[in-house]
Amino acid sequence: MKNLLRGFVLVFAALLTASLAAPAFAAEQVVTTDIGTLDQEIAGKAFPAKPPYSPYADRNFPTRPLFGDTHTHTSFSMDAGAFGARLGPKDAYRFAKGEEVVASSGQRAKLSRPLDFLVVTDHSDGMGFFPQLMSADPVLMATPQGRKWYDEINSGKGAQAAVDIITSFGRGELPKGFPTPGTPAYRSAWRETIKAAEEANDPGRFTAFIGYEWTSNAAGNNLHRNVIWRDNGAKASLVEPFTTLPPLGSPNPRDLWKWMAMCEEKTGAEILALAHNGNLSNGRMFPIIESFNSKRIDREYAENRTRWEPLYEATQIKGDGETHPFLSPNDEFANFERWDKGNLDLTEVKKPEMLEFEYVRSALKNGLKMEAELGVNPYKFGLVGSTDAHTGLAAVEEDNFFGKTSSSEPSPDRAMHPFVKTDKAVIMGWETTASGYAAVWAAENTREAIFDAMKRRETYATTGPRMVVRFFGGWDFEAADANNRMPARVGYTKGVPMGGDLKDAPGGKSPSFLVAALKDPIGANLDRIQVIKGWVGKDGQTQERIYDVAVSGGRKIDADGRSRTSVGSTVDVANATWTNTIGAGEMITVWKDPDFDPALRAFYYVRVIEIPTPRWTAYDAKYFGIKMPAEVTMTTTERAYTSPIWYTP
Amino acid sequence: MLFALHSLAGKRSAEAPEKIVVSASRIANLGDGFARTWRRPPSEQELQVLIEDYVRDEVFYREGRAAGLDRDDVIIRRRVRQKMEFLAEDMSAPEPSDEQLAAYLASNPERFRVEDQITFHQVFLSATRRANTMESDSKQVGSVLARDDGALDATALGDPFLLGEEFRGVSPSKLTSIFGEDFSRRIAAMETGRWQGPISSGFGQHFVFIGERISGGAPLLDVVRPAVRREWANAQRLEAERKLYASLRERYEIVVEAPSAKAASAEISR
Repeated sequence: MKNLLRGFVLVFAALLTASLAAPAFAAEQVVTTDIGTLDQEIAGKAFPAKPPYSPYADRNFPTRPLFGDTHTHTSFSMDAGAFGARLGPKDAYRFAKGEEVVASSGQRAKLSRPLDFLVVTDHSDGMGFFPQLMSADPVLMATPQGRKWYDEINSGKGAQAAVDIITSFGRGELPKGFPTPGTPAYRSAWRETIKAAEEANDPGRFTAFIGYEWTSNAAGNNLHRNVIWRDNGAKASLVEPFTTLPPLGSPNPRDLWKWMAMCEEKTGAEILALAHNGNLSNGRMFPIIESFNSKRIDREYAENRTRWEPLYEATQIKGDGETHPFLSPNDEFANFERWDKGNLDLTEVKKPEMLEFEYVRSALKNGLKMEAELGVNPYKFGLVGSTDAHTGLAAVEEDNFFGKTSSSEPSPDRAMHPFVKTDKAVIMGWETTASGYAAVWAAENTREAIFDAMKRRETYATTGPRMVVRFFGGWDFEAADANNRMPARVGYTKGVPMGGDLKDAPGGKSPSFLVAALKDPIGANLDRIQVIKGWVGKDGQTQERIYDVAVSGGRKIDADGRSRTSVGSTVDVANATWTNTIGAGEMITVWKDPDFDPALRAFYYVRVIEIPTPRWTAYDAKYFGIKMPAEVTMTTTERAYTSPIWYTP
Repeated sequence: MLFALHSLAGKRSAEAPEKIVVSASRIANLGDGFARTWRRPPSEQELQVLIEDYVRDEVFYREGRAAGLDRDDVIIRRRVRQKMEFLAEDMSAPEPSDEQLAAYLASNPERFRVEDQITFHQVFLSATRRANTMESDSKQVGSVLARDDGALDATALGDPFLLGEEFRGVSPSKLTSIFGEDFSRRIAAMETGRWQGPISSGFGQHFVFIGERISGGAPLLDVVRPAVRREWANAQRLEAERKLYASLRERYEIVVEAPSAKAASAEISR
């Protein structure tokens, strides 16, 4: 009844918005999908002789990164509810906007700064357990009881009506037409999810995306993907989420991609998916041999994966997924927030040979090799971080970490409470990681602009801090560009941003990169900026190499491109403090690949490392006055990973 | 537990078989569910699979309940509780009248306050680039800017800043997220139309020239209606849930026994 009205209003408003906004969005698309070209054209036509007086007049590229979370669960997720989550999608969006909320554990919670966007991604399986007993059923309105409740609700006596309904329900005295819980429940939960996003979405200020998580977990191996809509509720409500349980759903990503294609074709929506926690997939996240049919990945798989999954969630509460010391033995920063004991439910222990198919860096490398074979790179993805919080609270700053589940919200014993425990292994509460967020270079804070930036992979991952990271690749960057007054303008004019492609190396030239980072204004200084290169050698074997391209504190970069002097540490663990007396607030440089071979496929991405800071466990120990056992990690080095720039001969 | 289930199965099979009716409307429901996921009706074969799965669900559900597997299950208890709370929420939000929203806005003015909008440009001195000369450089730049008659290309005095030199119509909360809270507070207190500073930030020192400041303030309802409506509904929802719980709880006499250890220590302390 009331929901019928609400539904009408919602759809009507959505249609209205869509029709009004359509021309603006169309223009926006042109601008943001091919920024470099358009920027040059405009500059060429309008200001042939010299740029405008105000260097900002023609600026249409993204000028500030937007920070958000593509992965928050609420009480609508079965498992979150079971762990005691009480906050729903509406609360999650309010919290992300910077409002104070009362967490499920009864504590007051607030972010240090609002986020710019959020996707509530409750599990598609079982979302329907949350039924809406009142349906949009006109038959119900025609009954005296239905009418009475409707009037009570509208005169502010909702609680009275609720008690009456519950009592009638218990006695089996419900009016004809009253829906019993069952299939309609699913639809209503999805509708509530959509409605919460529609209400919270505030173009220009805060973006609330519609989305869900497809939680494929065959035999405990994590193949989870989040699905995100570019569009509003009018389109998203035309379908219901794809589940993993047969007969309606499937745990095979190929079936998810089929569903996504169907969804775009039949509803006119645009959607994308991003996977996470390859570290808990036991070798199945980035396969060369597909786990569902034991065959080599074919071109169809590669095409679909790269079409539907432009991004990967590289870091989150259940561990960091950039690389692993076993895979990158020469990388002294690789041993970071490792979760490598087994699969998601710890029913199968990890074997070293699985690691290659779980981590970002090795997947990017294998992708190059597979592209040579298949003609398509299945693993050409950009990077974001996100929380995967099951609390409705996207809170992953070290001093403001609200944990993975509602039972791991701040408390004196959360660190030493097992997170997963089987006869095979244990992961302790302290091993959960206060990480991460997604940074997106979008020209404005709207669903369309952020989604389009995600599609073109102009994104980076952070483990929590909001550092600004720029990364442009081209053939003509020179040292002076690092001193240009408008680094972004020179970046977009001379090159492609993170997520982009370089092709056709001009004779004798090596790619050059404009790389810059600014610390989080309330966070720690930066230790260094690194470029990570991966390539396929002449022998067909994949390779990787790290270059330190900017280091703080006047340290020297050796001839081999490395600076092996540590930045040091100012962390006072007992008091959970540090000082910015080491490191740098900002760094910018131009770096040219000294080992470039134009015949070989390669990728480059940037890693920014902060100086050491107290880990959330240190803040817990200080606040609760407890002593953590010796094995607990108490400091961290936060970081950011950009999407790669690929070179294809 | 397995043993118990087997013995249960044995016992029940001796009785007259229970009936599971898959009604035409249930089949229609199953078909609808499929169509809402796939945007097409299921084929005959797909429908058979759905029906078979439904029967399987029903058999396990009934047997499980008969065996008492739903009792003392914390997950089931929490789900049922959520359903009840959800019901309360659904009862709580009729469309508010303008009067209600205006009253809510009037009693929560700070919450909906429109922020100031500041337009300024800056001369930035990088702490990284000028580690040793910051103090003298800053003095020098300050004295040049003090003589600025408008003809000076001031930005050339400083270092490039990754996010640019000119900021238009930026709110204090955005400034906080870009430069930190200190910066935001300092600039809020500065005059327009002349160079001021420096303001220190984690990046270095900033001289700023505020071109324009548009003052915010208490907004009209029409400007912030969606936000007021959302916050009003949220308040209603919390209130409805509280009321529902209070009215249901009234039906119970609650007896809480002290945990034995505590009871003992309470005895001792007494």
